[in-house]
This record gives sequence, C-alpha cells and structure tokens, in this order.
Amino acid sequence: MTLFHGSNPLKTKSKIGTKKAKKNEPHSRSLTSDISHQPGPEKPIAVILGESPMVEVFAELCTAHGYRVAAALNNTPTGIDMIRDIPAQASVAIELTNLDLELKKKNLERLSGAGSPSMPILSSSITVTATEQSLWIERRHRLLGIAAFPTLLAKPLMEVAPTIFSPKETVEAAAYFFQTLGIGTEIVQDRIGMVIPRILCRLVNEALFAVMEDHAAPQDIDKAVQIGIGLPAGLIGWAERIGWSQICAVLDAIYNDTHEERYRAAPLLKHMALTGNWWNKQV
Amino acid sequence: MVKHLGIVGAGQLGTALAKLAILNNIEIHLYDINETILRRSIEQIKSDFRQAVQQKNLSSEQSLAALELLKTRTSLPDLGHCDIIIEAVVEDARVKKDLFKHLDADNKIATILATTSPSMLVSSVGSAARYTERIIGFHFFGQAASSELVEIIPNINTPAGIINDAAALIRMIGKTSVIVKDIPGAIVERTSHIIYNEALCLSIDQTAGEGQIDNLVRQNMGLPLGPFQKMDVVGIDTVLATGESIYDQSNGDPRFRPPGIIRQMVEAGLTGQKNGKGFYRYGNPQ
Repeated sequence: MTLFHGSNPLKTKSKIGTKKAKKNEPHSRSLTSDISHQPGPEKPIAVILGESPMVEVFAELCTAHGYRVAAALNNTPTGIDMIRDIPAQASVAIELTNLDLELKKKNLERLSGAGSPSMPILSSSITVTATEQSLWIERRHRLLGIAAFPTLLAKPLMEVAPTIFSPKETVEAAAYFFQTLGIGTEIVQDRIGMVIPRILCRLVNEALFAVMEDHAAPQDIDKAVQIGIGLPAGLIGWAERIGWSQICAVLDAIYNDTHEERYRAAPLLKHMALTGNWWNKQV
Repeated sequence: MVKHLGIVGAGQLGTALAKLAILNNIEIHLYDINETILRRSIEQIKSDFRQAVQQKNLSSEQSLAALELLKTRTSLPDLGHCDIIIEAVVEDARVKKDLFKHLDADNKIATILATTSPSMLVSSVGSAARYTERIIGFHFFGQAASSELVEIIPNINTPAGIINDAAALIRMIGKTSVIVKDIPGAIVERTSHIIYNEALCLSIDQTAGEGQIDNLVRQNMGLPLGPFQKMDVVGIDTVLATGESIYDQSNGDPRFRPPGIIRQMVEAGLTGQKNGKGFYRYGNPQ
C-alpha cells in the first residue's frame, strides 16, 4: 500500500520524478532549510515507512502541517517496494517499525541510500536502540531515535534519542521538523523503551498481572487508575488502542536488554499478544 | 441499607467521613478515646457547615438536620448497634489489631468492620478477630478523602453480601467504588509506586532528567503531576514507607523493589515539599 497525502498522487509522483533530475540541489541547503516550509507551490516531502496504524497517523499529521507524504506500510504484500523510489528531494524520513526488526532493517537500508546526505532519518527506537540501528546504514550521522509508539505519535512531546554518531545539526533538524508539526521535543538517552513507552508498558504489564491473578476486574482497574491516579485513558483501555503485541515487544526488548525481572511480560499479556483481545468477552 | 455508621478515630479522615455521612442522611456515631480531639472534630464540622451555609452551598435547615445525625461516643460498646464501623485511627499495626479485637468482641456479628489502612493487608489487620469474614478494607484517597474513588478490599473469606453492603455505603456517601482483592497496595498505590520506581530508575540510569520525565508524563500520559512532583507532594518519607511495605508484603518480589536512592534521600532529610527540599527545591516549606 502506498499512501500519498496532500495532493493528487499522480501529480505528486510526477513532481517527484521531475525533482529527481536535480538530485544535488538539496545538498547545498542546510538541514533546517531541508525541512522548512518552502514558499511557493513546493511542499517539503516526508517519507514514512513502517507499521500500521502509526504510518497512517503520522502521515495525517504531516499532511495537516503542510508536508507532502510518501508512505509505505510493512504489512502489504510488496512492503517497501510499493514506493519504487524514495523521493530524492525528501526532506525527512521516518521509520516506524517496532515489531519486525528484519523489516525495519530493510526499511532503513532502503532509506540509507536515499535522500540528501543530510536528510534526517527519524527511526522508532523503543525495541532496538538508535545506535544499533545506525550501524545498519551508511551515513549513520543522519539517524536519530524517536519514541514512536501507537497513541503517542500526536502527543505534545516527542522523545528524541541521538546516537553516538549524531551531530548537533541532525538533532536540531529533528527538533525543527517536530516543531513544524506542533510537537515539542525532549532529548533523552538512547535506551530501549525510552521514557513513556517504558513506564506505560510496565504499568500495562502489572494491570495484566492483576487481571490474570484475579485481583480486580479489568473495568475496575481502569476505573481505579482513571479516578485514583488521573490517567485519563485507563490502562487496559489504553493498551487496547496501542495493541498488545506492541506492548509485549517493548517489554521483551527491555527484558532482553536488562534481564530485570520487572520487565518480564505477564503470561496473560503474551497470550493476548498472540490471540488478540478477548478478556472483555469473557468478563 | 446503612442507617447507623460507626467511626473510630476523630482525626482528619474520621472527621471528613463523618461529615460526608451526615450530609447523606446516615446517623454517625463518632468515637475517639480523646475527648478533646472529639470536640475539635465536631467544631470543624460545624465550622465547615457554617461556611457552606454562608456560601449558599447548604441551607441552614440542611445543616441543622445533618448535625442532628452526629453523635459522639467515648466508649466502644456504644457502637454496638452500628451496621458498619470504620476505623480511622493512627497507622500502627498494633493499635489497629488491638482495636479490631475489641470491636469483634463488642459488636453484633452482622456489623461490618472496615479498616482504612492504606498500607496494611486487611487479613493482617483483622487477624486478631474471631469473625474475620466481616472485616474489609476501604481505601480513601486525597486530602481528607476528597477523591471520588474508594477501593473496597474484602478479606479472603468475606461473603458477597458484605461486599454489596459496603459498596452500598460508598454509593450513599456519593463516591465510586472498585472491588480489589487483598493485595499489597491494592490497585492505586501499587500503580503509583510502579510509576515512581520506573521514573527513579530512568533518572538513575540517566535516560532522562527528573524535570524531563515529569514533563513527558504530564504532557504525554495526561497525569496532573509528574512522578517526581507527586513524590515531593506526598512526602518522600511516605513514599519510602509505602513502597517498602508493598515490597515486603509481596515477599520481596523484585517488581516492587523501591530503588535505594529514595531511602538515601530520606536519610539526607530530603522529604519533599513539606520541608522545602526533595527532587525540587521549594521556597516556603509547608
């Protein structure tokens, strides 16, 4: 599946094709100007690859803030090949895969040879560090980690994790890009799970232990955290919107990295990641 | 239907519960061993009602009718006819256990006995009683039970009828209840401590600074306070005590182990907003 947002897809394609001839033009621009909104009819291009629904959500966000979007989903039969060419004049590339790291690697390798030498590649780094990902690509200074997690993409803040190869300019370019989307940034260290996904997955895991051990009904757990703690979406309700497999993947990755018992996924969580949501049919 | 409610302990929580109950037409028998504390509690309720009448949140007739329902007691056997007795005494296991032993002996078997201990297991508080099935826990939250939520914690052998009566009382005083098994920290405290512990670990391993974590938690999770701000408000000594209690009662389950930094902070006198120094610095200690 290829998603072209913001204008007629055919028209967009032809524009991208025309621009390919001027391959060197973006090289002369600074990173910040690469992703700035250009005056005139040309809109900056964001390339987005990865998992549904994050790709669609982020594509909508970019389109709403004046970007042309070229996007591809991992789970289509032809995957990344649906974008035959990564637009050469793309301003920014975003990789949003947390589950299938082989596909993620392929996506990043594809992005590695595309775009200008200074085009930032913002890659979800909650199940594998940004530094490890940067070793998969050429021109690794372009890659930064972001806390891309379902339901967190359009929140007011984005966690950004520079790698040991990241120059200040790439970090500034990423901050500027998110600013154009109305999103602030917090620069954090490059750790699996980052900040909010780690806290959130830990909480959901405990909620699942509580359900599994029959400590409380799922509805009561959500009511307790909504009223008693002030967590608007509850935990189980929020987890359903995130997706159980995403939560399980983050916990497994942190557990494999730290070997800390507290990140071991609850058996019920593993079961739900495999079978989908069933508890509310049972209770 | 709860008609007579006994409250043991006329401190802040006992007073708040008594006020809520009489405003909802429940006759209260407020007990305290200390008559001065009892008098102070009554004065507090009267003062609050006067203010409510002045602000037209309560009519003087409603105020008078409610106060008619407030009875003070200085002898435990005087609570004998109550449908439910709630203890709101000092958070001391020995005091609570001793009280439950007396309440168990002095009251009719149908009386439900409730502890408000936020950190002790219901089974532990009620262990000295003979009829343990009638012992339950109520977890109130916020300053003077201001939160709408109440966790009802049945003992391991509490029958459904008693749980239903307890839930009915919570509805009568205008609050929302959830039923949680007798586990350390129940849901709210346990969840709060997981947030605190994770935030502390993230700060210790330098993933992000305390201010950054607070900012992210507020803005991206929608919580009113970040975990470091919340620990400062609650009191870092209180967080340590509750965290260690949950950890100990969970038989040292590593999922609940509080990071060592929290004890170091308490030992260094950094207890939060109340003394002006915690994760943040405050101009005017409370």
